[in-house]
Amino acid sequence: MIRTLFISAAFAFTAPVHAQQMQHDDMQHEDMQHGEHDHEDHDHKDHDMEADEAAPGETVTLSRTPEIDAALAAGGEPAVAQVLGVVCDFCAKAMNKTFGKREEVAATYVDLDTKTLNLVFKPGQSLDDETIGKLVTKAGYKIAAIHRGEAVIAETAANAEAAQ
Amino acid sequence: MARFIAAIASLICMTSGFMAQPAMARPVSYEGGWTLIEETDRQSTALWVHYTVNPSLSLGWRTEWDRQNDVLFNGPQATWLAKRWFGENYQANLYGFAGAGALEGINGNPADREAAAFIGAMADWETRRLFASYRVRGLEGGDVDGSFMQAARVGFAPYEGDTGDLHTWLMVEVDHRPDAEDPVGVTPLVRFFKGAALFEAGWSVTDDEPMLNFQYRF
Repeated sequence: MIRTLFISAAFAFTAPVHAQQMQHDDMQHEDMQHGEHDHEDHDHKDHDMEADEAAPGETVTLSRTPEIDAALAAGGEPAVAQVLGVVCDFCAKAMNKTFGKREEVAATYVDLDTKTLNLVFKPGQSLDDETIGKLVTKAGYKIAAIHRGEAVIAETAANAEAAQ
Repeated sequence: MARFIAAIASLICMTSGFMAQPAMARPVSYEGGWTLIEETDRQSTALWVHYTVNPSLSLGWRTEWDRQNDVLFNGPQATWLAKRWFGENYQANLYGFAGAGALEGINGNPADREAAAFIGAMADWETRRLFASYRVRGLEGGDVDGSFMQAARVGFAPYEGDTGDLHTWLMVEVDHRPDAEDPVGVTPLVRFFKGAALFEAGWSVTDDEPMLNFQYRF
């Protein structure tokens, strides 16, 4: 029985899963404040979590919900994180729970269609990229890129205008 | 309120006369998260509660009733996320799990309570439209001289739901239990998934036994 078990386990462990390990350079740093990113106490290459690289040049906009809109109207700054591996509501639940506990966050929404974590902070507050990355990792997922500020709202407004 | 509903739903499942087995959808949650799982398949029924210590480890308690052999297992279970692969459109996971506790006869089975342990592995791959998984487990202890099972499952979602929508999956599971009267079982099932709750209902076409799985994440 044990031999059969080990053979089957070996089959499971060697099942082909096509993935590429995410390299540091693959992260999109264009909107990240690199100076705030401390490289001494962590390593981007998690040994038990691997990731494909994010699609470069993708337009990223803030997904809107009534809570997101209310937080924006209150003067909160937005941030949109592209997250890898977001395929179901459990993923959304994990990140909403994790970020919802943070004092700095006024509204959070995980959009499965755009695979983004959408955050609006309380006025005058924020989370740096490293903290967002760590919280996403705590939730079990991985950040591909983080976009902030007027750009994500401007893009949202531009898209809405284009849609009209 | 949500916790109350989850507790009632689990109680209904536990007292309904059917019972579960290791389906294990996402057996490790987010750090600090609790998950309540009820699993019923053609062989057994289990109630499993676990707490996610960190993104790679959950610890919990498992009660499992093997209805075919009239034995009951009780004991802690640890599940380890050995590897997770991320992609823009997929996620794949490899888990190892193990538990140890006591096994005893019930429903007229005179078997005394004895130590028992199990070990297994599970792998899954999932996009928003496709799903595949494999799991294997072996249990030793008491009068059970090596209970082995393995199962594979494939499924697809007929539509892509967005966050908070009702997600529907159509799946088929094939399981292999060398010691069972029918060693190979085939169970078509439907999975409904909304927010923090997951429910699966199926019917084993080989055994005429139900599959009923429920999961709630706090």
